[in-house]
Amino acid sequence: MKKLALDLNDVTKTFQKDDGYITAVDKVSLQVEEGEMVTFLGPSGCGKTTTLRMVAGFELPTSGSITIRGSDMTNTPVNKRKIGFVFQNYALFPHMSVYNNVAYGLKARGEKDKDIRDKVRDALVMVGLVDTENRYPSQLSGGEQQRVALARVIVMEPNLLLMDEPLSNLDAKLRIHMRTEIRRLQKKLGITCLYVTHDQSEALSMADRIVVMNKGKVEQVGTAFEIYSNPQSLFVADFIGQANIIHLKVTSLAEDVIGVQTHNGGVFSARCIIPDHIDSSVESYEVGKDAALVIRPESLTVIPYKGGEETFNAVVSSSVFVGSHVEYELTLPNNEMIKAFIPYTNNMQIFKEEEQVSFMIDPVNALFLPRKKNKP
Amino acid sequence: MSTTRVEHTRRSMAKRDPVLFGTLVAIWIIFAIFIFLPIIKLLSTTFVVDGSISFTNLIKIMGKSYNIRALYNSLILATAVAVTGTVLGYIFALAVTRTSLPPFFKGLLAAVTILPLISPPFTSSISLTLALGPNGMLLRALGITDFSIYGFIGTWISETLTYFPVAFMVITAVLNTMSANLDDAALSLGSSRWRMFRTITIPLSLPGIGNSILLLFGASLADFATPLILGGHTFPVLPTEAYLMITGMFDLKGGASLSFLLLIPALLVFILQRVLIGKKSYVSVTGKNGAKSAFGKLPHLLTAIISAVCAITVVFILYLYAIILWGSLVKVWGVNNTVTLQHFKYVFAHGKKAITDTLLIAVLSTVIGSILGVVIGYIAQRKNFFGKRFFEFGSMLNYALPGTVVGIAYIIAFNQKPILLTGTLAILVAAYVFRYYATGIRSVIASLAQIDPALEEASLSLGANSLRTFTHVTIPLIIPAVLAGMRYLFIHSMTAISATIFLVSVRWTLLTTRILESMTELQFSQASAFSIVLIIIVFVVDAIMLALMKWSTRKFTQQESISYEKIGA
Ligand SMILES: Nc1ncnc2c1ncn2[C@@H]1O[C@H](COP(=O)(O)OP(=O)(O)O)[C@@H](O)[C@H]1O
Ligand SMILES: [Mg+2]
Repeated sequence: MKKLALDLNDVTKTFQKDDGYITAVDKVSLQVEEGEMVTFLGPSGCGKTTTLRMVAGFELPTSGSITIRGSDMTNTPVNKRKIGFVFQNYALFPHMSVYNNVAYGLKARGEKDKDIRDKVRDALVMVGLVDTENRYPSQLSGGEQQRVALARVIVMEPNLLLMDEPLSNLDAKLRIHMRTEIRRLQKKLGITCLYVTHDQSEALSMADRIVVMNKGKVEQVGTAFEIYSNPQSLFVADFIGQANIIHLKVTSLAEDVIGVQTHNGGVFSARCIIPDHIDSSVESYEVGKDAALVIRPESLTVIPYKGGEETFNAVVSSSVFVGSHVEYELTLPNNEMIKAFIPYTNNMQIFKEEEQVSFMIDPVNALFLPRKKNKP
Repeated sequence: MSTTRVEHTRRSMAKRDPVLFGTLVAIWIIFAIFIFLPIIKLLSTTFVVDGSISFTNLIKIMGKSYNIRALYNSLILATAVAVTGTVLGYIFALAVTRTSLPPFFKGLLAAVTILPLISPPFTSSISLTLALGPNGMLLRALGITDFSIYGFIGTWISETLTYFPVAFMVITAVLNTMSANLDDAALSLGSSRWRMFRTITIPLSLPGIGNSILLLFGASLADFATPLILGGHTFPVLPTEAYLMITGMFDLKGGASLSFLLLIPALLVFILQRVLIGKKSYVSVTGKNGAKSAFGKLPHLLTAIISAVCAITVVFILYLYAIILWGSLVKVWGVNNTVTLQHFKYVFAHGKKAITDTLLIAVLSTVIGSILGVVIGYIAQRKNFFGKRFFEFGSMLNYALPGTVVGIAYIIAFNQKPILLTGTLAILVAAYVFRYYATGIRSVIASLAQIDPALEEASLSLGANSLRTFTHVTIPLIIPAVLAGMRYLFIHSMTAISATIFLVSVRWTLLTTRILESMTELQFSQASAFSIVLIIIVFVVDAIMLALMKWSTRKFTQQESISYEKIGA
C-alpha cells in the first residue's frame, strides 16, 4: 500500500480563552496523497491556520493524531518534522542576507559549505531570483520577499510544504501570477502541499483537492468541480461561487429525490443531499415542510411571464447588462430574492425592472439540501 | 502566545519543556538567595525578637525623636525634589519639543541633561560644596560669608540637579507622542496661546508629569550619597541614619528597623507607579524626536521664561562640572590655587586598586546582569508558566527597594554561614546585578514584543533547534535592547553607592567610596580628581556602548535607530 503523505485523524484543538474554552479545530480527519496539492478554504476564524500549525508542530493537538509519511508525529517537535512553512508575512530573518536566509536550514542541518552554495543558488534560480543573494529582505519588494520565503523552504526538500495565506500581502495582479508559479513549482518538485486561503478563486484554481472548513469542522473535501457542482451543505453551496437558495414546500419524498410544487401547481423534482452523518444542526426532510433548493445564478432560465405548470414566478427587481451576461435580481412570491445570470446572445430579450417574469430550473443543475434548524 | 494551551496545564512542565523547567528552577534558586532571603532576613531582624513576632524594635526606633525627624525629613525632601525636579524637567521638555529655539541650543540642553545621568549621583553635591561650601568659590565671588550649604537647602538643590534629567526624559517622551496637530487645531479654532497651553498641552502631559513625580520621589527617598555629603547633622534622613546606625553603632536591628520605615513609602511609590503608568516606565527613544518639534507655539512670555531658565540651568551645570575639574587641578582648594597634577598622580598611585576593582566589578555585573536580563526577559515575554506574575515581581524587587535597604538586607543575610559572602567580590556584584538588571529585562521584553514569533517559528520549522533559534535569530534581533540594558548596568555599577557602601571591604573597594572618604576628610581636590577619572571612564565606555548600540540596530534589525533607554534612577 502506498504511504500517505499526511493522515489527520480526528484532530481537535481547544484553546483556553479568558472565560472558557474555544474549539478552534473540531475532529478534522483528512488523508493527503504524495504530491497532492490541497487547499484549505473557509471564512476567517474557521480554524484553517490552527489546523496547519498543528501539522507543522507549532501547536499540539488537544486530541487526535497526525501521521506524516507513515510515522506518528502528533507530539514531535517542529524541527524534527521536516516540514516547510511559508508564513503570511514571510517571516524572513531581517538581519540576514537573502543568501543566509535561504541557507539557514541547510546550515542548521550541518551540510557542507559547497553543497549549501549550490543548493541555495539552485533554489533561487528556481523561484526566479537571481543577483539578490547579498541583499537584505528590507531591500526587496513584496513579491521578491515571497520568493525568498519559498526558496528558503524548498531548498530543504521538506516532506510537506505548508503555506498560510502566502499571497495575501501581494497586489491583485502579482497574486494571480504567483498562483501559477507556486502551482508550477509544486508540480515540478512533486512536493505535497497544504495551502490555506480564504480566497476561493485561489483555492479552486490551485488545488487538486479543496477542504472547505467552517467553525472548526470540515464541511466538504473534493475537487473544485465536485465542490462547485455538488455542495454537500448549504454552507458550501453558499460559500463557493454564488448560490440561490429557494425554500419550497415538499410534496413527495423518494430515496434521494425530492418533489416540490412549482408556483403554478406543477411538480418539480431534483436530487437531494442526505446528511451522511447524524447532523443535529439540520432538519430532516418532511412532506409539507420546506426544503432548500440550491441553484446557481447561471443555471436559471428567465422567460416572459407564462402560467405553465413547470415554471416559477418572479418580479424583476433589478436588471443590469454587464456585457458577457445580464444580471437579474428577482423577487419571488414569498419575498425571497434570487439572482439569475443570463449569458449574452445577439437576439436575447432583456427584461426591465418591475416586469413580471417566469423562470425555469434545469433539474440537472439543482440540488436540495436539508434546512438549517432555526436557533431556538 | 498569550493563552495557555489547555492540555499543557495538565502535562508536567519538566517533561514538556525541560530546558525551560531547568532554567526556571535555577532562576528561582538565584532569586531565593539574592532577592527573597535578604528581604526576609531584614524583616525578621526587624520583627522577630526572641523567636516571636514583636514590634519592639520598631517602637524603640519610633520612640526617638531623631528618627521621626529623619522620616519626616526624608518625606519632605522627596516631595520637594519631586516637585522642583519635575518643574525643571518640564521646562526643559517644553524648550525641546515646543519652542523654535535654535537646534544648537536644543542639542546643548539634551547633552547637558545626559551629564547628571552618567555621573556618580553625588557629583553635584561635590561641586556644590566646592562652589557654595566652606571656602566656596561662588560664595567668595559674591562676597557672601554667612551661608551654609549643609542642610535641607543644599540637599534639595543637589538632588534636583541630579534627578531633573529623569523628569526631562519622561515628559519629553509624552510631549513627543502628543500630536502637534492638536496644538494647531486649538490655535486654528481661535484659541489664544495661553489658553491652548492651559487646556491642551498641560492636561495631555499629566501622565508624564505624574510618572515623573513618582520616579523623582522614589529616587530622592532612596538617595544616600547626597544627604551624606550635604545633609550634615542638621538634616538627617532615613538612609543616612540607617547607615550611621550600622557603621557607627553596629546596631543591625536598629538599621533594619529604619530601613523598614524607608521600605514602606518606597514600595508604595513603586506600586502606585506600576498601577498608574502600567508597564510603561520605560520610554522608547526614537531618533526622530528632534525632527518633530515644530514651531514655537507657546505664549511668547512663557517661551522667554523657559529659555531663560534653561540657559541659567545649563550654565550652572556646566559651571559645576568645570569647578570639579578646576578643583582637581589646584593644590589646595580655596587656599592655594597653583595648578598641579599631583591629585591625579595620587589617584593613579593610591587609587589604582579602587579603579581596577571598580572596573572589574562593573564589567562582571554588566556581563552577568545582562545575561540574566536576557534570559528573564525572554522567559517573561515568550513563555507561560505557573507563578509568572510572582516571578516578574521578584525579579524587580531589589530594583524597587532603596539601595540602603538592599545594602542592609545583604549584610544581614550574608554575614554568617551558610552563605557567608561579606567582604567578597560576589556580594558586590550580586548587589549591582539584581538592582540594575531591571532595565535590561524591560528593554528585552519591549524588544521581543516587537519581534514576530513567526521568525522563531520559521527557524524551528527549518530544522534549527530551540538553542540555535535563540542564538541565531532571537539574540541578534534584540541586541540593541541588550546593549541598552548593559549601558544602564555599567553606568550604575560604576557610580551607584547606596547599597554597596555597606558591602565594601579592605579586599574590595570602590571609586565611589574613595570619593566619599575624601569628601568626609575634606580632601576636596582629591575627591574632584577621583570624580573626574570616574566620569571620564564612564563617559568613554558609555559612548562606545552607545555607538555599538546604534551600529547593531542598523546592522541586525536593518532599521533606523530604535532604542529603549531606561530612564530613572
Ligand atoms: N493561540 C490561540 N489562542 C486562543 N485562541 C486562538 C488561538 N489561535 C487561534 N485561536 C482561535 O481559534 C479560532 C480559529 O483561528 P484560526 O485557525 O486562526 O482561523 P483562520 O486561520 O481560519 O482564520 C479563532 O476563533 C481564533 O480566535
Ligand atoms: Mg488564518
